[in-house]
Amino acid sequence: MGLFDFIGPASGLLFTLENIIWINLGVFIGCVFAAIPGLSVILCIILFLPVTYTMRAIPGMMFLLGIYCAGGYGGSVSAILINTPGTPHAAATMLDGYPLSKMGRTKAALKIALYASTFGGIFSALVLLFLGPQVAKISAQLGTAEYFMVCLFGMTIIAGVSGKSLVKGIIAACLGLLISCVGADPMTSYDRFTFGIPRLYLGLDLAVTLIGLFALVEIIGKAELKRNELNLHAGKIGNDDGKITKDEYKRMFRPVLMGSIIGSCVGIVPGTGASEASWFSYNTAKNLSKHPEEFGHGSVEGVAAAESANNAVCGATLIPLLTLGIPGDGCVAIMLSALMINGLNPGLSLFTTDGAIMYAIMLGLILVNIFMFLQGKYLTSLFAKVVSIPQQILTPIIVIFCFAGAYSVNSSYFDLSVALVFGVMAWFMRKLELPAVPVLLGMVLGNMTETNFRRALLISDGSPKIFFSSVYCWIFIALIVVVIIGILRGKMKETKNAKVEQ
Amino acid sequence: MKKRIAALVTAGVLALSMLTGCGSKQESWKVTCPWAPSGVAAMVSQKAAAKSPDYSDNKITLVAEAVKGDAATVNTWVSSTKANDKELVFAGEGLFAITETLDPAKLQFSYDDFEFVENLYSSVFVLSADSSLNLKNLDDLEAYVKAGNPVSVAVNGATGSEAFLAAALFGSMGAGDQLKLTPYQSAAEAAQAVAKGETNFAVSHQSQILETYQQGGVDVVCAFDDKAIENGPFAGVEGVGSKGYPYFRNRCFVMARKGTDAAKVAELKELYDKILADDEMVEWLNDTMLLEVDTMTEDDVKAHIENVKSIVEQYKDIVAG
Repeated sequence: MGLFDFIGPASGLLFTLENIIWINLGVFIGCVFAAIPGLSVILCIILFLPVTYTMRAIPGMMFLLGIYCAGGYGGSVSAILINTPGTPHAAATMLDGYPLSKMGRTKAALKIALYASTFGGIFSALVLLFLGPQVAKISAQLGTAEYFMVCLFGMTIIAGVSGKSLVKGIIAACLGLLISCVGADPMTSYDRFTFGIPRLYLGLDLAVTLIGLFALVEIIGKAELKRNELNLHAGKIGNDDGKITKDEYKRMFRPVLMGSIIGSCVGIVPGTGASEASWFSYNTAKNLSKHPEEFGHGSVEGVAAAESANNAVCGATLIPLLTLGIPGDGCVAIMLSALMINGLNPGLSLFTTDGAIMYAIMLGLILVNIFMFLQGKYLTSLFAKVVSIPQQILTPIIVIFCFAGAYSVNSSYFDLSVALVFGVMAWFMRKLELPAVPVLLGMVLGNMTETNFRRALLISDGSPKIFFSSVYCWIFIALIVVVIIGILRGKMKETKNAKVEQ
Repeated sequence: MKKRIAALVTAGVLALSMLTGCGSKQESWKVTCPWAPSGVAAMVSQKAAAKSPDYSDNKITLVAEAVKGDAATVNTWVSSTKANDKELVFAGEGLFAITETLDPAKLQFSYDDFEFVENLYSSVFVLSADSSLNLKNLDDLEAYVKAGNPVSVAVNGATGSEAFLAAALFGSMGAGDQLKLTPYQSAAEAAQAVAKGETNFAVSHQSQILETYQQGGVDVVCAFDDKAIENGPFAGVEGVGSKGYPYFRNRCFVMARKGTDAAKVAELKELYDKILADDEMVEWLNDTMLLEVDTMTEDDVKAHIENVKSIVEQYKDIVAG
């Protein structure tokens, strides 16, 4: 029995008033949580999981999926408005979303993020619905060596986010890699760089460090400005009609489609996530764009690429969960427990025993994205008003949210100091013209790269041949070579242009 | 006018929120579960918390919380509590037998800092093998090892219970030198490693290998228990204890802070015992989670810890080098 045999009963289970109410509640809560820096989607799902204990499987899953998908979009709101990604996977959105907002196009930036997120979400939901079991089998073949190649490919993004100097970008990325080493060694469990501080045994939380790196540094930066320099940004709000031109829609199409494909591919691979997907997509869009010079300065393509990819991950992470019982990321792992508490053990066998429930969840993901779009459309104007709040009121509110967010991650005052230290570190980096984004990239990819590299060598008894042992490895090697050639060509062109200008 | 209304509404909400705490005799006990927020222990803790209002005669409600990280680190954070604080934590043999032996400096506390309440469940780990090896039981495994074949085992974490069970089994077969432990960051990843061909074997909870087993990727060779598994999809799988190999079950102890009133500890134990005797809970533990209800006394707990400690002492060189 397949999709068409179950579509009738699945629709009957899904289209109930109860499910629609839970979806909308989930979408709203997820969006608000993700929009506040520090309050991550996973934290939101953990907090609201007990609500689903007394619910049946479908309403419970719809509620959690609502939070999960809306969280993918919600993170972009603060990235665009206050240059601080609400969630780590909205960091790539920030690169162009905030400059767009500074240009007085806040509403347009939020709209682009919403449209791209919805497209990415529905695209991956359709992939889940029609190709789930087939692609899950392919992803199950990817091993430790292939994962390392994915990480190595991810490292090439550093070139794209380094700003003017590649060397400074690499230095910043190395700093990020070093920071990712803090905590228990993934292969031996012995502590590294913890200096006997028990709270560092688990490493540094990405959500907390993000607050310091991007939010607090802005506040410190504002403290340096004179009073009459503070409200430049707000003055441009009156021009913001939120209009996206026909040409911009055209330019968005390719990065959105590419982002959706990249997000779906990354999401299928367990252990990766929306952060990696949005960076891959952003970098690909930049490499393929006719206007790469606009990236980092308010490119609509940049926002569209990053947002479509991070939302496309949502549906794709459900593929290994529902077909193989393997959770693709932390949020989905929590959803696995919601299913198991209802007595459902996900896997292909469940498609035979409870096929209607499985297909109702898959169809429900499309519905979740539709409601996310509708809620987002009406909330966009409300969100956009945030930038019109005078700086003397907005700044203290941001500071309070930042510290409350940092505290809420582990209910620990220690994390407030961590956020502050990272804020000061980011300020010094700004003075030295070292970009902060590669630090984040190093932290996102560091642990995964190291673990897979060392584990691969352990499996192969130290032989590097393992990294050339499968066709998937060779595909990634080819991609890495192509990207590096592209980077070198780009740099040579830049140097040539600079000489001509001189 | 608007400001006055806003001030009145705010004051009203504050007053109401203060009054909600008055007059209620119900106590909420926070139960902190370390390890993975979506792991076996967290799920059972959540289910138990959801059941607690049915059995506490409105006196105690359990509130489940999950904090990612190993028990030594997570419990350090909550051990800043005092006796009679309404907080419970989970701990297992990993904390009191493994970490205490391998890395005592990491422990900010000892067993004596806690009052034992109840054991939440017992899990019999299983050893699964790559199906292409065609190993169906312990005899096949012994022959495989004796022939000098490679023994690589995927485990969750470098020095967890799974690693020591593998070390104890293959070490006592005389294959300690052949054994290569490959740590993964979750039990699900470790279980998948065998199906991908990265390792020959994996040690995991039964529920975590079930889907891979049903899809034909692995064979389940033996269980880490004294006798064969009696129920569920792995019924009939031999226990390593039947051939004299060392083993232990994975357990999850619910602990209160030392010095908590004995009457309150007894009340909490009674609540957990009622929850763990609930028909729906038992069925869910057995059929979905493939775990066993295994209520214990403090003496049982101490005996369990001593057993694991002796295994850790004997095989720590294999695991930790």
